Amino acid sequence: MPATSNPNIQWTRSWRSLELAVAVLILTNAVKGQSAETAEEKAGVKNTAESRIEPSPATSKVDYLTEIKPILVTRCYACHGALQKKAGLRLDTVEFMRKGGDGGDVLDRDSPILLDRLTADDPHERMPPEGEGTPLAADQVAKIRTWIEAGAPAPESETPESSPRDHWAFRPIERPAVPKTKNTGWGRNPIDAFILAKLEAKGLSPAPAAEPGIQLRRLYIDLTGLPPTQPDSDKWRERTTDSQYRQLVTKLLSDPAHGERWGRHWMDIWRYSDWWGLGTQLRNSQKNIWHWRDWIVESLNADVPYDRMIRLMLAADEIEPGNLADLRATGYLARNYFLFNRNQWLDETVEHVGKGFLGLTVNCAKCHDHKYDPISQPDYYAMRAIFEPYMVRNDVAEGGRNTDVDGLPRAYDARPEDPTWLFVRGDDKNPDKSRKIEPGVPSFLDCAPYMVKRLELPAQAVSPGLRADVRKAQLELAREKLARADAEWAEADKAWKTVTAAKAKKPDKPADAAKPDTGQSRGDELSSLLSRTLAEKNRLAAGEWALAVRARIEADSAVAGNLPASQASLLSTIAAKAERRHALAAMEAEVAKLELDAAKADEKAREAVIKSLEQTRAKIVESRKAVFEAEAKPLVHTPIPGGEHARTMFMSSTAFDPDPATPAYSTGRRRALADWIVEKRNPLTARVAVNHIWARHFGEPLVPTVFDLGRKGQPATHPDLLDWLAAELIESGWSMKHLHRLIVESSAYRMSSSIRGREENQSADPDNRLIWHRSPVRVESQVVRDMLLDLAGNLDRKMGGPPVQPADQEKSNRRSLYFFHSNNDRNSFLTTFDEALVRDCYRRDRSIVPQQALALSNASLVANSVGPIADRFVQELRQAGVDPVSEKDFVRHAFARILSFEPTAEESAACLETMKSWASGHPPESAMPLARKRLIWALINHNDFVTLR
Amino acid sequence: MNYPGPLPRRAFLSDMGMGFTGLALGAMMHRDGIAAEPGWSPPDGKPHFPPKAKSVIWLFMNGGVSHMESFDPKPMLNKYSGKTIAETPFADTQDPKKLAIERLVVPDANGNQRNTLYPLQVGFRKYGQSGAELSDWFPHIGRHVDKLAIVRSMWTTDSNHGAQTQFHSGRHSNDGNFPTLGAWVHYGLGSLNDNLPQFISFGFREYWNKIDGHYLGPAHDAVPLRVNPKDPLDFGRPQGDFSESDQAKGFDLVQKLNRLRGVEYPADAAMSARIDSYELAFRMQRSVPEVMDFSTETAETKSLYGLDHDHSRDFGSQLLAARRLVERGVRFVQIQHGGGGAGAWDAHGGLKANHSKNALAVDQPIGGLLEDLHRRGMLNETLVIFASEFGRTPGSQGSDGRDHHIFGFSVWMAGGGIKGGVVHGATDEIGFHATENRHYVTDIHATILHQLGLDSRKLEIPGRKRLEIDHGTPIREIIA
Repeated sequence: MPATSNPNIQWTRSWRSLELAVAVLILTNAVKGQSAETAEEKAGVKNTAESRIEPSPATSKVDYLTEIKPILVTRCYACHGALQKKAGLRLDTVEFMRKGGDGGDVLDRDSPILLDRLTADDPHERMPPEGEGTPLAADQVAKIRTWIEAGAPAPESETPESSPRDHWAFRPIERPAVPKTKNTGWGRNPIDAFILAKLEAKGLSPAPAAEPGIQLRRLYIDLTGLPPTQPDSDKWRERTTDSQYRQLVTKLLSDPAHGERWGRHWMDIWRYSDWWGLGTQLRNSQKNIWHWRDWIVESLNADVPYDRMIRLMLAADEIEPGNLADLRATGYLARNYFLFNRNQWLDETVEHVGKGFLGLTVNCAKCHDHKYDPISQPDYYAMRAIFEPYMVRNDVAEGGRNTDVDGLPRAYDARPEDPTWLFVRGDDKNPDKSRKIEPGVPSFLDCAPYMVKRLELPAQAVSPGLRADVRKAQLELAREKLARADAEWAEADKAWKTVTAAKAKKPDKPADAAKPDTGQSRGDELSSLLSRTLAEKNRLAAGEWALAVRARIEADSAVAGNLPASQASLLSTIAAKAERRHALAAMEAEVAKLELDAAKADEKAREAVIKSLEQTRAKIVESRKAVFEAEAKPLVHTPIPGGEHARTMFMSSTAFDPDPATPAYSTGRRRALADWIVEKRNPLTARVAVNHIWARHFGEPLVPTVFDLGRKGQPATHPDLLDWLAAELIESGWSMKHLHRLIVESSAYRMSSSIRGREENQSADPDNRLIWHRSPVRVESQVVRDMLLDLAGNLDRKMGGPPVQPADQEKSNRRSLYFFHSNNDRNSFLTTFDEALVRDCYRRDRSIVPQQALALSNASLVANSVGPIADRFVQELRQAGVDPVSEKDFVRHAFARILSFEPTAEESAACLETMKSWASGHPPESAMPLARKRLIWALINHNDFVTLR
Repeated sequence: MNYPGPLPRRAFLSDMGMGFTGLALGAMMHRDGIAAEPGWSPPDGKPHFPPKAKSVIWLFMNGGVSHMESFDPKPMLNKYSGKTIAETPFADTQDPKKLAIERLVVPDANGNQRNTLYPLQVGFRKYGQSGAELSDWFPHIGRHVDKLAIVRSMWTTDSNHGAQTQFHSGRHSNDGNFPTLGAWVHYGLGSLNDNLPQFISFGFREYWNKIDGHYLGPAHDAVPLRVNPKDPLDFGRPQGDFSESDQAKGFDLVQKLNRLRGVEYPADAAMSARIDSYELAFRMQRSVPEVMDFSTETAETKSLYGLDHDHSRDFGSQLLAARRLVERGVRFVQIQHGGGGAGAWDAHGGLKANHSKNALAVDQPIGGLLEDLHRRGMLNETLVIFASEFGRTPGSQGSDGRDHHIFGFSVWMAGGGIKGGVVHGATDEIGFHATENRHYVTDIHATILHQLGLDSRKLEIPGRKRLEIDHGTPIREIIA
């Protein structure tokens, strides 16, 4: 049984304890999956059992470049190359190998160190080291042996691996010159020049512009996520001018739907997720995380600069500690909350800050130095240290009353003193406590210093209960409570008076007088009296509550520094007494309630009620003492609550961890990180952002590996264009709308997605890497649903607020981004069309599966939309003066409105024929409406409905 | 709809250059920038070597079945009942080194050591010629013991119910989400029936992520079905006044319009894939209800699956449906038993009541399934597996429960070229640690893939290098 499937079998052998410990450690790490992932595994080199079994016979001639070097690249370079030079040895040229490391030439024919180390029996000697990769296969070793024995022939002038720091994405962004092109009539802006230059270099020509209708639909859906309106659809059937096009872009970019559309894109990247857990237990994200979603949408609509957005998401609590609207941004961090495990929480935070903002897989350095990028394992933990202090608090949202329903999840430095340790091999059970890790950023990116400045927080940020709006809300609440209690008392008083009046009248009514007084009426009278007493006590308690709130507000202010300590203490004591008075009044009300219960209870239940009545009465004695007896020590009041720490269970799954004391300062670590990320000289931030934006306009990014611009990532198809756009983004003041406009106004964007007539291009660049035509794009799940609702005239354009719960989604007409969406709960219709995975969605999948066909055929959403859409289209035609509406008119209009193109004669004929068949057998008045409805169904199921042509 | 009869799957794959799976994955690969990697191509749907099994019926008991009270009886628990483990001769089971495989999500989340031994809550006896011992809660399965290979030496690393996902994907939940075994099978193997989805799930999976494909893409997610001929799958039939014949005309029109549009937009792989997806959708819509209609089954068969008892009807119906699906060529039927909380078998308290009830719900249906497959000659090419995310502690939790236990537990397999009447591996005398022939959960995956003729290493896609532990090793000892 190979050890891989049997990591712990070693127990049965009598190993020395040290070896055992090491073995267990290594093997547990192996089980931990990614933590043990090594360079060769990442490089995709097969090193399977089979390949080890049959060594190929050593051939006498081995070619270094094709047979030796590839082995060294994948198995050795990470530690013995340009990235690291362990033991002073580099293996990336034969010259380096000859020079050797600490032990000299490793290719010496008589004493080939390279071979010795690769084949050593002692696991401490053998390369690659344990945990860093499996030994080389026998045939690989044989090849190396043959090559060395042949004198290790080397090619002339072998170039060493380039320095990792010279990697394109790590070099500063310099705005490239806009290239000159032969064809000067095609391009509209510099984007086109970059694209055309590449095409011309390959002898390719760009596709012609798409039909106006197709361009219109592209713009609408791309910029707002909604289909074109009827007036625009009608207008754009004919040719349009550039100025009309630009006007439309302006209109769509200022449509609030734009923020919703692009908000959903960024929610994918920034990992928006509503809360999930087990049953009602919240384990991940936060209850009211939607505040962050609203902030994203609003910010995009307001064209808040991208750098500002990053700064606020990472550190609004340090940059704008008093601004609730901005604090919503830190939902980005609050979303990473994980009830049970701090390491997992912080791992995800570091991973996605790295991938999302920097396009760096910092997470790979959790267990060992990064195998491709110059990120050391300590770098990983330095980044973690930035986040080590932060936790989540739910502040009362503006005008809200409590932290549950009205909570605004936000980040704050709750544990500024928590140390960060490096975990040996990434194993959290094995922290290296010899050295405290200081916060920092990967040092190879020395574009700007990482400067931490601690900051004192305003009192209201530390204690949100001091906020005027929170106080106002608490006072209002108290007043409402009082008003309610007062009204209830008036009611009870009236009821009692009615009962007593009725009793007083009774002798006048001979019919009643004849009846003996029943226990029933005596009971009514008693319970009415007791109800009145209860209402009175409740009313008193409500009054005491109102006074206590007022007193606590005064005391809060005093304690927060408005008054000298002795006066603050006095006010605190008085407020605490007020609280006790309320407690006493509430207890008296409880007694009144139990008395009423006792009166109403039957024999069986009465005993229990009386027992708890006695207990409560006994407690009242204590409560009175607490109110009326003098106390030597000053008392401390309960501050008005305004924020609630999101409690965790890191230590135990059955009890919350103790709440941390709220510090009056923040470490400033996250602010420093944010400043460093958005520093203009940071080579990654703008490149990553424009790549994401480009990908969502064109369907394909310029750098295919959108979250990895490092050395393991793919190179850009258009590096100059990427840099030009990045420079443009920065110099526009990080305006995303500027970038959108630039992109959608380019000729490249406006090209047709048809390759007809350019078959020669197709064979030269079948994957359209050089962008000689537009690639058709399957729209996202949300767009599919929103389009249906909008075409039917049913879309509810209300923006923002709490998400639509799963049970309400079937009936909801809100835009899909407002649907509750978590790891556990997803809308089934949306999921069919590739919903964002909340753990990680840097790019949305675009599958084509039969379930999508079933959903579009049979979902009630579709069934409920086709009728209204058909009716609406008939209306539209009539309003345009087409009356009566012929079936041909209808077909043409439906194509234009749903698919944005004119049907060909053949398409039209096919539709008319099927409509006729649908209509047959139905009475004339219902036949055509039915056929139209069915036609709408067919067009919704057309490939081009879910496709951006 | 005028299809020229069922189109052979292979034909229509080549028709467009790639299947749906091909397209979905191809698109994704392209997205990740790996399509350019030389020498890689998606699977062609053919096994890598001659297969022993064609289909898998995967029975998963949510919550954690006590191995001692099912397939690995431990009389020592009765002998030392009430003693702490330290007081027994098995004190060394508590050696911290042996407990080190555990990867915690939260320090005490149900992973507590339960050190006071709790006696067996049910009797046990030998069954069949092999004489393997099974608890009295599983008499129907016991009758087929000579068809089973029981593996008593499983281990996993997540002591919380993330182990459910772990059993399916091979990865601890802290590592993220990874494709499940069913998704790999779906990805690797072509279809045996063009009218049905090839990877199907029944039952409860509320606790774990409902996705299977993950980085393989949603094309490889299980299609959830219900045993209800009127409403067997989501979006399974036309709504309202839309008759099936009207819809068929509609499908025809849609396909015609798409083909006409394709003239304007040639070489659009997505268009071809969409046309094909509509063909399959239309067939699925017709075929799935037929599978769920049991009217052609005899009363004897239905009763074999326990359909005439309230306690076993639900699960029995799913198993009967599974047989009908497998009969029609479906590759992988994944059935989760036991909903509520983290899974019905999660007997932290009241183990006896819990397990006896759950066993009653599954035992007869499973026995019936084995019998039915056997009688129809299907068992030799259908691999049935019975598993649970972990076992339960030899020690008691509270007065009458057992906690989660990852260090040793049991699964069994039957059919599909698996040896019968075999007990493989063992735990120690109190059922604490797997001691002989230990197997991590991916060894089960490897065994199943091996029987299906697949080599998981050949399925790997560039940029998603898997670890040795992800692949596991086939358990040769139980392969016939």
